[in-house]
Amino acid sequence: MYDELANHEGAQESVPLKVVVADDDALQRTYTSAVLRKLGYAPIEAPDGARALELIREGAAQILVCDLEMPGLNGHELARELRRDPGAHDGYVHILMLTGQDERHERERALEAGVDDFMAKPLDTASFKARMRSAGRLLRRDRELAARNRFLAEAKDRIEADLRAAADAQRRLLPPAHATVGGYAFHSAFMPSNILSGDMFGYFALGGGLVGLYAVDVAGHGVHASLMSVALGHLLTEDFFCGHVFDAEGRPDPAALVALLDRRFYRDDGTEYFTMFCGVLDEATGAFHYCQAGYPSPCIMTTEGACRSVGRGGFPVALLPAPTFETGQTTLRQGEFLVLCSDGATEAETPAGLAFGDDGLARVFKGTADDPAAIPQNLVAELTRWRAGRPLDDDLTVLVCERTPEP
Amino acid sequence: MIKTRDHAERGICVVDPSVERLTAANATTFKEEVFALIEDHRDRLVIDLTGVSFIDSSGIGALVGLLKRVGTRGEVVVCGLSGSVQQMFKITRMDRVFSSYRDRDAAVAALLERA
Repeated sequence: MYDELANHEGAQESVPLKVVVADDDALQRTYTSAVLRKLGYAPIEAPDGARALELIREGAAQILVCDLEMPGLNGHELARELRRDPGAHDGYVHILMLTGQDERHERERALEAGVDDFMAKPLDTASFKARMRSAGRLLRRDRELAARNRFLAEAKDRIEADLRAAADAQRRLLPPAHATVGGYAFHSAFMPSNILSGDMFGYFALGGGLVGLYAVDVAGHGVHASLMSVALGHLLTEDFFCGHVFDAEGRPDPAALVALLDRRFYRDDGTEYFTMFCGVLDEATGAFHYCQAGYPSPCIMTTEGACRSVGRGGFPVALLPAPTFETGQTTLRQGEFLVLCSDGATEAETPAGLAFGDDGLARVFKGTADDPAAIPQNLVAELTRWRAGRPLDDDLTVLVCERTPEP
Repeated sequence: MIKTRDHAERGICVVDPSVERLTAANATTFKEEVFALIEDHRDRLVIDLTGVSFIDSSGIGALVGLLKRVGTRGEVVVCGLSGSVQQMFKITRMDRVFSSYRDRDAAVAALLERA
Protein backbone atom coordinates (compact mmCIF):
# COMPACT_ATOMS: atom_id res chain seq x y z
CA MET A 1 0.00 0.00 0.00
CA TYR A 2 2.72 2.46 0.97
CA ASP A 3 4.52 1.88 -2.33
CA GLU A 4 1.38 2.88 -4.17
CA LEU A 5 1.11 5.94 -1.97
CA ALA A 6 4.72 6.95 -2.60
CA ASN A 7 4.20 6.71 -6.35
CA HIS A 8 1.00 8.65 -6.06
CA GLU A 9 2.67 11.40 -4.04
CA GLY A 10 5.61 11.42 -6.44
CA ALA A 11 3.26 12.18 -9.29
CA GLN A 12 1.75 14.98 -7.25
CA GLU A 13 5.15 16.67 -7.01
CA SER A 14 5.43 17.04 -10.78
CA VAL A 15 1.99 18.64 -11.12
CA PRO A 16 1.99 22.23 -9.81
CA LEU A 17 -0.20 22.68 -6.73
CA LYS A 18 -3.27 24.80 -7.35
CA VAL A 19 -3.88 27.89 -5.22
CA VAL A 20 -6.96 30.13 -5.17
CA VAL A 21 -5.93 33.79 -4.92
CA ALA A 22 -8.81 35.92 -3.61
CA ASP A 23 -8.32 39.67 -3.80
CA ASP A 24 -10.62 42.46 -5.03
CA ASP A 25 -7.58 44.55 -5.94
CA ALA A 26 -6.79 43.35 -9.47
CA LEU A 27 -3.21 44.65 -9.34
CA GLN A 28 -2.42 42.94 -6.01
CA ARG A 29 -4.17 39.75 -7.27
CA THR A 30 -2.12 39.70 -10.48
CA TYR A 31 1.08 40.35 -8.55
CA THR A 32 0.42 37.58 -5.98
CA SER A 33 -0.43 35.20 -8.82
CA ALA A 34 2.73 36.07 -10.69
CA VAL A 35 4.85 35.40 -7.59
CA LEU A 36 3.07 32.08 -7.07
CA ARG A 37 3.58 31.06 -10.68
CA LYS A 38 7.26 31.87 -10.38
CA LEU A 39 7.44 29.67 -7.26
CA GLY A 40 5.97 26.79 -9.25
CA TYR A 41 2.32 26.96 -8.24
CA ALA A 42 -0.80 27.18 -10.41
CA PRO A 43 -2.84 30.21 -9.20
CA ILE A 44 -6.56 30.52 -9.87
CA GLU A 45 -7.81 34.09 -9.44
CA ALA A 46 -11.00 35.08 -7.62
CA PRO A 47 -12.07 38.77 -7.60
CA ASP A 48 -14.07 38.39 -4.38
CA GLY A 49 -14.82 36.08 -1.42
CA ALA A 50 -17.96 34.57 -2.90
CA ARG A 51 -16.14 33.45 -6.06
CA ALA A 52 -13.26 32.04 -3.95
CA LEU A 53 -15.75 30.03 -1.88
CA GLU A 54 -17.36 28.72 -5.06
CA LEU A 55 -13.99 27.68 -6.54
CA ILE A 56 -12.95 25.82 -3.40
CA ARG A 57 -16.28 24.04 -3.11
CA GLU A 58 -15.86 22.94 -6.75
CA GLY A 59 -12.56 21.39 -5.67
CA ALA A 60 -10.34 23.84 -7.61
CA ALA A 61 -7.68 23.97 -4.87
CA GLN A 62 -6.89 23.15 -1.25
CA ILE A 63 -4.79 26.26 -0.62
CA LEU A 64 -6.36 29.71 -0.38
CA VAL A 65 -4.41 32.98 -0.34
CA CYS A 66 -6.88 35.72 0.50
CA ASP A 67 -7.05 39.37 1.26
CA LEU A 68 -8.73 40.56 4.45
CA GLU A 69 -10.84 43.36 3.02
CA MET A 70 -13.05 42.29 0.14
CA PRO A 71 -16.53 43.42 -0.85
CA GLY A 72 -19.33 40.95 -0.07
CA LEU A 73 -17.61 38.08 1.75
CA ASN A 74 -14.48 39.46 3.47
CA GLY A 75 -11.51 37.29 4.54
CA HIS A 76 -12.92 36.53 8.02
CA GLU A 77 -16.31 35.58 6.65
CA LEU A 78 -14.78 33.45 3.90
CA ALA A 79 -12.63 31.55 6.45
CA ARG A 80 -15.58 31.10 8.82
CA GLU A 81 -17.77 29.82 6.01
CA LEU A 82 -15.15 27.28 4.90
CA ARG A 83 -14.64 26.03 8.47
CA ARG A 84 -18.38 25.94 9.20
CA ASP A 85 -19.05 23.35 6.54
CA PRO A 86 -15.85 21.34 5.90
CA GLY A 87 -17.91 18.60 4.25
CA ALA A 88 -18.75 20.92 1.36
CA HIS A 89 -15.23 20.56 -0.10
CA ASP A 90 -12.60 17.81 -0.32
CA GLY A 91 -9.97 17.59 2.42
CA TYR A 92 -8.56 20.39 4.53
CA VAL A 93 -8.26 23.88 3.04
CA HIS A 94 -5.18 25.78 4.15
CA ILE A 95 -5.92 29.51 4.44
CA LEU A 96 -3.14 32.08 4.21
CA MET A 97 -4.33 35.65 4.80
CA LEU A 98 -2.61 38.74 3.47
CA THR A 99 -2.84 41.72 5.81
CA GLY A 100 -1.82 45.33 5.44
CA GLN A 101 0.54 47.04 7.90
CA ASP A 102 -2.40 48.66 9.69
CA GLU A 103 -4.38 45.42 9.96
CA ARG A 104 -2.10 43.43 12.31
CA HIS A 105 -4.62 43.69 15.12
CA GLU A 106 -7.08 41.75 12.93
CA ARG A 107 -4.94 38.61 13.18
CA GLU A 108 -6.48 37.30 16.39
CA ARG A 109 -9.97 37.59 14.95
CA ALA A 110 -8.78 35.88 11.78
CA LEU A 111 -7.28 32.99 13.75
CA GLU A 112 -10.62 32.54 15.48
CA ALA A 113 -12.36 32.54 12.10
CA GLY A 114 -10.12 29.66 11.02
CA VAL A 115 -7.21 31.28 9.16
CA ASP A 116 -4.00 29.20 9.36
CA ASP A 117 -1.27 31.70 8.55
CA PHE A 118 -0.58 35.35 7.69
CA MET A 119 1.62 37.37 5.39
CA ALA A 120 2.11 41.10 5.58
CA LYS A 121 1.81 43.17 2.47
CA PRO A 122 3.90 44.03 0.54
CA LEU A 123 4.82 40.38 -0.04
CA ASP A 124 8.33 39.31 0.86
CA THR A 125 9.06 36.61 -1.73
CA ALA A 126 11.46 34.51 0.40
CA SER A 127 9.05 34.42 3.33
CA PHE A 128 6.07 33.78 1.01
CA LYS A 129 7.96 30.88 -0.58
CA ALA A 130 8.66 29.32 2.83
CA ARG A 131 5.05 29.69 3.94
CA MET A 132 3.69 28.22 0.70
CA ARG A 133 6.09 25.32 1.06
CA SER A 134 4.78 24.64 4.53
CA ALA A 135 1.20 24.83 3.20
CA GLY A 136 2.16 22.35 0.45
CA ARG A 137 3.63 19.98 3.01
CA LEU A 138 0.46 20.07 5.07
CA LEU A 139 -1.63 19.53 1.97
CA ARG A 140 0.42 16.53 0.90
CA ARG A 141 0.12 15.13 4.42
CA ASP A 142 -3.63 15.66 4.27
CA ARG A 143 -3.87 13.86 0.94
CA GLU A 144 -1.66 11.05 2.22
CA LEU A 145 -3.96 10.59 5.20
CA ALA A 146 -7.01 10.68 2.94
CA ALA A 147 -5.43 8.03 0.70
CA ARG A 148 -4.65 5.93 3.76
CA ASN A 149 -8.19 6.29 5.04
CA ARG A 150 -9.55 5.28 1.64
CA PHE A 151 -7.27 2.25 1.66
CA LEU A 152 -8.42 1.26 5.16
CA ALA A 153 -12.08 1.79 4.25
CA GLU A 154 -11.62 -0.41 1.17
CA ALA A 155 -9.82 -3.06 3.22
CA LYS A 156 -12.63 -2.96 5.78
CA ASP A 157 -15.21 -3.38 3.00
CA ARG A 158 -13.29 -6.35 1.59
CA ILE A 159 -13.02 -8.00 5.03
CA GLU A 160 -16.70 -7.45 5.73
CA ALA A 161 -17.64 -8.87 2.34
CA ASP A 162 -15.51 -11.93 3.16
CA LEU A 163 -17.18 -12.25 6.55
CA ARG A 164 -20.61 -12.01 4.97
CA ALA A 165 -19.65 -14.71 2.45
CA ALA A 166 -18.46 -16.87 5.37
CA ALA A 167 -21.72 -16.14 7.22
CA ASP A 168 -23.68 -17.30 4.15
CA ALA A 169 -21.66 -20.51 4.10
CA GLN A 170 -22.39 -20.94 7.80
CA ARG A 171 -26.11 -20.37 7.30
CA ARG A 172 -26.21 -22.92 4.48
CA LEU A 173 -25.15 -25.55 7.03
CA LEU A 174 -28.24 -24.82 9.12
CA PRO A 175 -31.60 -26.48 8.61
CA PRO A 176 -34.50 -24.32 7.37
CA ALA A 177 -36.57 -22.23 9.81
CA HIS A 178 -39.38 -24.78 9.66
CA ALA A 179 -39.12 -28.47 8.78
CA THR A 180 -40.71 -31.78 9.61
CA VAL A 181 -38.58 -34.83 10.38
CA GLY A 182 -40.38 -38.04 11.20
CA GLY A 183 -43.08 -37.31 13.74
CA TYR A 184 -41.57 -33.98 14.76
CA ALA A 185 -41.93 -30.43 13.50
CA PHE A 186 -38.86 -28.20 14.04
CA HIS A 187 -38.87 -24.40 14.18
CA SER A 188 -35.74 -22.33 14.62
CA ALA A 189 -34.10 -18.92 14.63
CA PHE A 190 -30.40 -18.07 14.41
CA MET A 191 -28.95 -14.64 15.09
CA PRO A 192 -25.18 -13.97 15.05
CA SER A 193 -23.99 -11.19 17.37
CA ASN A 194 -21.68 -9.89 14.63
CA ILE A 195 -22.09 -11.37 11.12
CA LEU A 196 -20.54 -14.72 12.08
CA SER A 197 -21.76 -16.95 14.90
CA GLY A 198 -20.20 -19.50 17.25
CA ASP A 199 -23.51 -21.34 17.41
CA MET A 200 -24.53 -24.35 15.33
CA PHE A 201 -27.46 -26.76 15.45
CA GLY A 202 -29.10 -29.51 13.45
CA TYR A 203 -31.55 -32.40 13.47
CA PHE A 204 -32.11 -35.46 11.31
CA ALA A 205 -33.87 -38.81 11.00
CA LEU A 206 -31.66 -41.64 12.27
CA GLY A 207 -33.81 -44.47 10.94
CA GLY A 208 -35.83 -46.91 13.01
CA GLY A 209 -38.26 -44.16 14.04
CA LEU A 210 -35.55 -42.14 15.79
CA VAL A 211 -34.71 -38.46 15.35
CA GLY A 212 -31.42 -36.88 16.47
CA LEU A 213 -30.91 -33.23 17.36
CA TYR A 214 -28.08 -31.08 18.67
CA ALA A 215 -27.11 -27.51 19.46
CA VAL A 216 -23.58 -26.25 20.19
CA ASP A 217 -22.30 -22.92 21.43
CA VAL A 218 -18.57 -22.34 21.02
CA ALA A 219 -17.08 -20.18 23.80
CA GLY A 220 -16.45 -16.66 22.56
CA HIS A 221 -17.78 -15.37 19.27
CA GLY A 222 -16.64 -13.89 15.97
CA VAL A 223 -14.35 -15.55 13.41
CA HIS A 224 -12.50 -17.75 15.90
CA ALA A 225 -15.64 -19.33 17.36
CA SER A 226 -17.44 -19.54 14.03
CA LEU A 227 -14.65 -21.59 12.41
CA MET A 228 -15.05 -24.15 15.18
CA SER A 229 -18.84 -24.08 14.95
CA VAL A 230 -18.68 -24.66 11.18
CA ALA A 231 -16.22 -27.53 11.69
CA LEU A 232 -18.70 -29.04 14.16
CA GLY A 233 -21.57 -28.43 11.73
CA HIS A 234 -19.72 -30.45 9.09
CA LEU A 235 -18.82 -33.20 11.53
CA LEU A 236 -22.21 -33.64 13.20
CA THR A 237 -24.09 -35.30 10.37
CA GLU A 238 -26.73 -37.97 10.27
CA ASP A 239 -24.01 -40.57 9.65
CA PHE A 240 -21.93 -39.36 12.56
CA PHE A 241 -24.98 -39.58 14.81
CA CYS A 242 -25.92 -43.02 13.55
CA GLY A 243 -22.35 -44.22 14.10
CA HIS A 244 -21.78 -42.79 17.58
CA VAL A 245 -24.99 -41.96 19.42
CA PHE A 246 -25.82 -45.57 20.42
CA ASP A 247 -24.27 -47.82 23.02
CA ALA A 248 -23.03 -51.35 22.37
CA GLU A 249 -26.57 -52.71 22.74
CA GLY A 250 -27.94 -50.19 20.24
CA ARG A 251 -29.71 -48.01 22.83
CA PRO A 252 -29.49 -44.24 22.40
CA ASP A 253 -26.53 -42.91 24.41
CA PRO A 254 -25.85 -39.27 23.45
CA ALA A 255 -23.21 -39.06 26.21
CA ALA A 256 -21.07 -41.46 24.14
CA LEU A 257 -21.19 -39.08 21.19
CA VAL A 258 -20.32 -36.10 23.39
CA ALA A 259 -17.43 -38.02 25.00
CA LEU A 260 -16.11 -38.79 21.52
CA LEU A 261 -16.20 -35.09 20.58
CA ASP A 262 -14.47 -34.27 23.86
CA ARG A 263 -11.64 -36.67 23.12
CA ARG A 264 -11.34 -35.34 19.60
CA PHE A 265 -11.21 -31.65 20.55
CA TYR A 266 -9.57 -31.57 23.98
CA ARG A 267 -5.97 -30.40 24.16
CA ASP A 268 -4.02 -29.83 27.36
CA ASP A 269 -2.88 -26.43 26.16
CA GLY A 270 -6.13 -25.65 24.35
CA THR A 271 -8.39 -22.70 25.08
CA GLU A 272 -11.21 -23.51 22.65
CA TYR A 273 -14.17 -25.36 24.00
CA PHE A 274 -17.91 -25.53 23.52
CA THR A 275 -21.13 -26.29 25.29
CA MET A 276 -23.60 -28.65 23.73
CA PHE A 277 -26.96 -30.29 24.07
CA CYS A 278 -27.84 -33.32 22.00
CA GLY A 279 -30.49 -35.97 22.10
CA VAL A 280 -32.39 -38.76 20.40
CA LEU A 281 -36.19 -38.80 20.21
CA ASP A 282 -38.26 -41.90 19.68
CA GLU A 283 -41.24 -41.11 17.46
CA ALA A 284 -43.36 -43.99 18.74
CA THR A 285 -42.93 -43.50 22.48
CA GLY A 286 -41.70 -39.93 22.78
CA ALA A 287 -38.72 -41.25 24.79
CA PHE A 288 -36.01 -38.62 24.80
CA HIS A 289 -32.40 -39.55 25.58
CA TYR A 290 -30.19 -36.51 25.94
CA CYS A 291 -26.80 -35.29 27.06
CA GLN A 292 -26.39 -31.82 28.49
CA ALA A 293 -22.80 -30.58 28.24
CA GLY A 294 -22.81 -27.11 29.79
CA TYR A 295 -25.58 -25.90 27.47
CA PRO A 296 -28.54 -24.17 29.16
CA SER A 297 -31.33 -26.55 30.17
CA PRO A 298 -34.04 -26.76 27.49
CA CYS A 299 -37.72 -26.64 28.51
CA ILE A 300 -40.44 -29.13 27.75
CA MET A 301 -43.69 -27.20 27.46
CA THR A 302 -47.35 -27.81 26.85
CA THR A 303 -49.52 -25.56 24.72
CA GLU A 304 -51.19 -24.48 27.99
CA GLY A 305 -47.88 -22.97 29.06
CA ALA A 306 -46.76 -25.55 31.65
CA CYS A 307 -42.98 -25.82 31.60
CA ARG A 308 -40.40 -28.24 32.99
CA SER A 309 -36.67 -27.91 32.69
CA VAL A 310 -34.57 -30.73 31.19
CA GLY A 311 -31.24 -31.72 32.73
CA ARG A 312 -29.28 -30.58 35.75
CA GLY A 313 -26.08 -29.49 34.06
CA GLY A 314 -23.01 -31.22 32.70
CA PHE A 315 -19.38 -30.49 31.89
CA PRO A 316 -18.68 -28.49 28.72
CA VAL A 317 -16.86 -30.25 25.85
CA ALA A 318 -13.07 -30.01 25.44
CA LEU A 319 -12.59 -27.84 28.53
CA LEU A 320 -11.36 -30.25 31.21
CA PRO A 321 -9.14 -33.31 31.08
CA ALA A 322 -11.22 -36.52 31.00
CA PRO A 323 -14.65 -35.33 32.15
CA THR A 324 -17.59 -37.72 32.40
CA PHE A 325 -20.78 -37.18 30.46
CA GLU A 326 -24.17 -38.58 31.33
CA THR A 327 -27.17 -39.61 29.28
CA GLY A 328 -30.44 -38.51 30.82
CA GLN A 329 -33.89 -39.65 29.88
CA THR A 330 -37.33 -38.07 29.84
CA THR A 331 -40.43 -38.26 27.65
CA LEU A 332 -41.79 -35.76 25.17
CA ARG A 333 -45.46 -36.57 25.52
CA GLN A 334 -48.16 -36.08 22.93
CA GLY A 335 -48.93 -32.37 22.67
CA GLU A 336 -45.66 -31.31 24.30
CA PHE A 337 -42.78 -29.50 22.70
CA LEU A 338 -39.11 -28.93 23.49
CA VAL A 339 -37.54 -25.46 23.45
CA LEU A 340 -33.76 -25.06 23.28
CA CYS A 341 -32.20 -21.66 23.56
CA SER A 342 -28.53 -20.58 23.73
CA ASP A 343 -27.51 -18.22 26.53
CA GLY A 344 -27.39 -15.32 24.07
CA ALA A 345 -31.02 -14.69 25.05
CA THR A 346 -30.86 -14.65 28.85
CA GLU A 347 -27.78 -12.44 28.97
CA ALA A 348 -29.16 -9.84 26.53
CA GLU A 349 -29.31 -6.49 28.32
CA THR A 350 -31.37 -3.35 27.83
CA PRO A 351 -29.37 -0.16 27.15
CA ALA A 352 -29.73 0.47 30.92
CA GLY A 353 -28.10 -2.91 31.71
CA LEU A 354 -31.13 -5.00 32.70
CA ALA A 355 -30.68 -8.66 31.65
CA PHE A 356 -33.46 -10.43 29.75
CA GLY A 357 -32.93 -13.40 32.05
CA ASP A 358 -34.88 -16.59 32.57
CA ASP A 359 -37.91 -14.47 33.41
CA GLY A 360 -37.84 -12.86 29.97
CA LEU A 361 -37.56 -16.27 28.33
CA ALA A 362 -40.43 -17.70 30.39
CA ARG A 363 -42.58 -14.69 29.52
CA VAL A 364 -42.06 -15.18 25.76
CA PHE A 365 -42.42 -18.96 25.92
CA LYS A 366 -45.64 -18.78 27.94
CA GLY A 367 -47.05 -15.95 25.86
CA THR A 368 -46.59 -18.01 22.68
CA ALA A 369 -47.16 -21.51 24.07
CA ASP A 370 -50.31 -22.00 22.01
CA ASP A 371 -48.28 -21.49 18.81
CA PRO A 372 -44.90 -23.26 19.18
CA ALA A 373 -44.01 -22.58 15.54
CA ALA A 374 -43.97 -18.84 16.30
CA ILE A 375 -41.72 -19.03 19.39
CA PRO A 376 -38.33 -18.55 17.64
CA GLN A 377 -39.41 -15.46 15.71
CA ASN A 378 -41.30 -14.04 18.69
CA LEU A 379 -38.24 -14.41 20.86
CA VAL A 380 -36.05 -12.69 18.26
CA ALA A 381 -38.57 -9.84 17.99
CA GLU A 382 -38.81 -9.52 21.78
CA LEU A 383 -35.00 -9.50 22.16
CA THR A 384 -34.67 -6.88 19.43
CA ARG A 385 -37.10 -4.68 21.37
CA TRP A 386 -35.27 -5.45 24.64
CA ARG A 387 -31.95 -4.42 23.07
CA ALA A 388 -33.60 -1.34 21.54
CA GLY A 389 -32.35 -2.51 18.14
CA ARG A 390 -28.68 -2.90 19.14
CA PRO A 391 -27.08 -6.22 18.08
CA LEU A 392 -26.81 -8.98 20.69
CA ASP A 393 -23.55 -9.38 22.65
CA ASP A 394 -23.65 -13.12 22.13
CA ASP A 395 -24.94 -15.39 19.38
CA LEU A 396 -28.48 -16.67 19.62
CA THR A 397 -29.99 -20.01 18.65
CA VAL A 398 -33.61 -20.95 19.34
CA LEU A 399 -34.82 -24.43 18.40
CA VAL A 400 -38.35 -25.70 19.01
CA CYS A 401 -39.16 -29.36 18.50
CA GLU A 402 -42.83 -30.20 18.49
CA ARG A 403 -44.31 -33.66 18.58
CA THR A 404 -46.84 -33.56 15.78
CA PRO A 405 -50.26 -35.10 16.47
CA GLU A 406 -50.62 -38.71 15.37
CA PRO A 407 -52.57 -39.02 12.13
CA MET B 1 -8.12 -4.29 35.73
CA ILE B 2 -7.92 -6.82 38.59
CA LYS B 3 -7.48 -5.82 42.23
CA THR B 4 -5.49 -8.09 44.48
CA ARG B 5 -4.91 -8.50 48.18
CA ASP B 6 -2.02 -10.64 49.29
CA HIS B 7 -1.98 -12.69 52.44
CA ALA B 8 1.49 -13.10 53.81
CA GLU B 9 0.93 -16.78 54.43
CA ARG B 10 1.80 -19.34 51.82
CA GLY B 11 1.19 -17.51 48.58
CA ILE B 12 -2.49 -16.84 49.22
CA CYS B 13 -3.85 -14.01 47.09
CA VAL B 14 -7.43 -12.77 46.78
CA VAL B 15 -8.26 -11.58 43.26
CA ASP B 16 -11.17 -9.28 42.51
CA PRO B 17 -11.78 -9.17 38.73
CA SER B 18 -13.30 -5.67 39.21
CA VAL B 19 -15.80 -6.17 36.42
CA GLU B 20 -19.53 -6.60 36.59
CA ARG B 21 -19.57 -8.99 33.65
CA LEU B 22 -16.78 -11.51 33.04
CA THR B 23 -17.33 -12.29 29.35
CA ALA B 24 -15.64 -12.82 25.98
CA ALA B 25 -14.98 -9.05 26.03
CA ASN B 26 -12.59 -9.14 29.00
CA ALA B 27 -11.93 -12.78 29.93
CA THR B 28 -8.55 -12.94 28.15
CA THR B 29 -7.26 -9.77 29.83
CA PHE B 30 -8.41 -11.11 33.19
CA LYS B 31 -6.68 -14.44 32.59
CA GLU B 32 -3.41 -12.83 31.48
CA GLU B 33 -3.36 -10.57 34.54
CA VAL B 34 -3.84 -13.50 36.90
CA PHE B 35 -1.22 -15.52 34.96
CA ALA B 36 1.23 -12.76 35.85
CA LEU B 37 0.40 -13.27 39.54
CA ILE B 38 0.96 -17.01 39.20
CA GLU B 39 4.35 -16.33 37.58
CA ASP B 40 5.04 -14.28 40.69
CA HIS B 41 4.52 -17.37 42.88
CA ARG B 42 1.08 -16.45 44.06
CA ASP B 43 -0.43 -19.82 43.32
CA ARG B 44 -3.10 -20.18 46.00
CA LEU B 45 -5.76 -17.98 44.54
CA VAL B 46 -9.17 -16.92 45.77
CA ILE B 47 -11.19 -15.49 42.87
CA ASP B 48 -13.71 -13.21 44.54
CA LEU B 49 -16.78 -13.02 42.29
CA THR B 50 -18.87 -10.95 44.71
CA GLY B 51 -18.96 -8.00 42.32
CA VAL B 52 -19.55 -10.13 39.22
CA SER B 53 -23.22 -10.38 38.30
CA PHE B 54 -22.74 -12.31 35.06
CA ILE B 55 -20.22 -14.80 33.69
CA ASP B 56 -20.35 -16.36 30.21
CA SER B 57 -18.62 -19.42 28.76
CA SER B 58 -15.46 -17.40 27.99
CA GLY B 59 -15.34 -16.33 31.65
CA ILE B 60 -15.65 -19.96 32.73
CA GLY B 61 -12.91 -20.82 30.23
CA ALA B 62 -10.64 -18.21 31.82
CA LEU B 63 -11.18 -19.65 35.32
CA VAL B 64 -10.40 -23.16 34.08
CA GLY B 65 -7.32 -21.70 32.35
CA LEU B 66 -6.11 -20.47 35.76
CA LEU B 67 -6.69 -23.88 37.26
CA LYS B 68 -4.66 -25.54 34.50
CA ARG B 69 -1.85 -22.98 34.87
CA VAL B 70 -1.60 -23.41 38.64
CA GLY B 71 -1.71 -27.19 38.21
CA THR B 72 -0.50 -29.16 41.20
CA ARG B 73 1.61 -26.27 42.52
CA GLY B 74 -1.33 -24.58 44.14
CA GLU B 75 -5.06 -24.13 43.95
CA VAL B 76 -7.82 -21.89 42.70
CA VAL B 77 -11.02 -21.42 44.69
CA VAL B 78 -13.94 -19.06 44.17
CA CYS B 79 -16.19 -17.10 46.50
CA GLY B 80 -19.16 -14.77 46.50
CA LEU B 81 -21.14 -16.43 43.70
CA SER B 82 -24.39 -14.56 43.03
CA GLY B 83 -27.57 -15.92 41.42
CA SER B 84 -26.73 -15.99 37.72
CA VAL B 85 -23.05 -16.86 38.29
CA GLN B 86 -24.07 -19.69 40.62
CA GLN B 87 -26.49 -20.92 37.96
CA MET B 88 -23.74 -20.91 35.32
CA PHE B 89 -21.44 -22.87 37.67
CA LYS B 90 -24.19 -25.42 38.15
CA ILE B 91 -25.09 -25.81 34.46
CA THR B 92 -21.43 -26.25 33.46
CA ARG B 93 -20.66 -28.35 36.60
CA MET B 94 -17.95 -25.93 37.62
CA ASP B 95 -19.36 -26.34 41.13
CA ARG B 96 -17.63 -29.73 41.04
CA VAL B 97 -14.38 -28.31 39.72
CA PHE B 98 -13.92 -25.30 42.01
CA SER B 99 -14.36 -25.18 45.78
CA SER B 100 -16.75 -22.34 46.45
CA TYR B 101 -17.04 -20.22 49.59
CA ARG B 102 -19.51 -17.66 50.87
CA ASP B 103 -17.01 -14.78 50.97
CA ARG B 104 -13.30 -14.05 50.84
CA ASP B 105 -12.78 -14.48 54.59
CA ALA B 106 -14.30 -17.96 54.49
CA ALA B 107 -12.20 -18.82 51.42
CA VAL B 108 -8.94 -17.58 52.95
CA ALA B 109 -9.71 -19.37 56.22
CA ALA B 110 -10.30 -22.61 54.33
CA LEU B 111 -7.02 -22.25 52.40
CA LEU B 112 -5.12 -21.53 55.63
CA GLU B 113 -6.63 -24.57 57.28
CA ARG B 114 -5.60 -26.78 54.39
CA ALA B 115 -2.10 -25.35 54.75
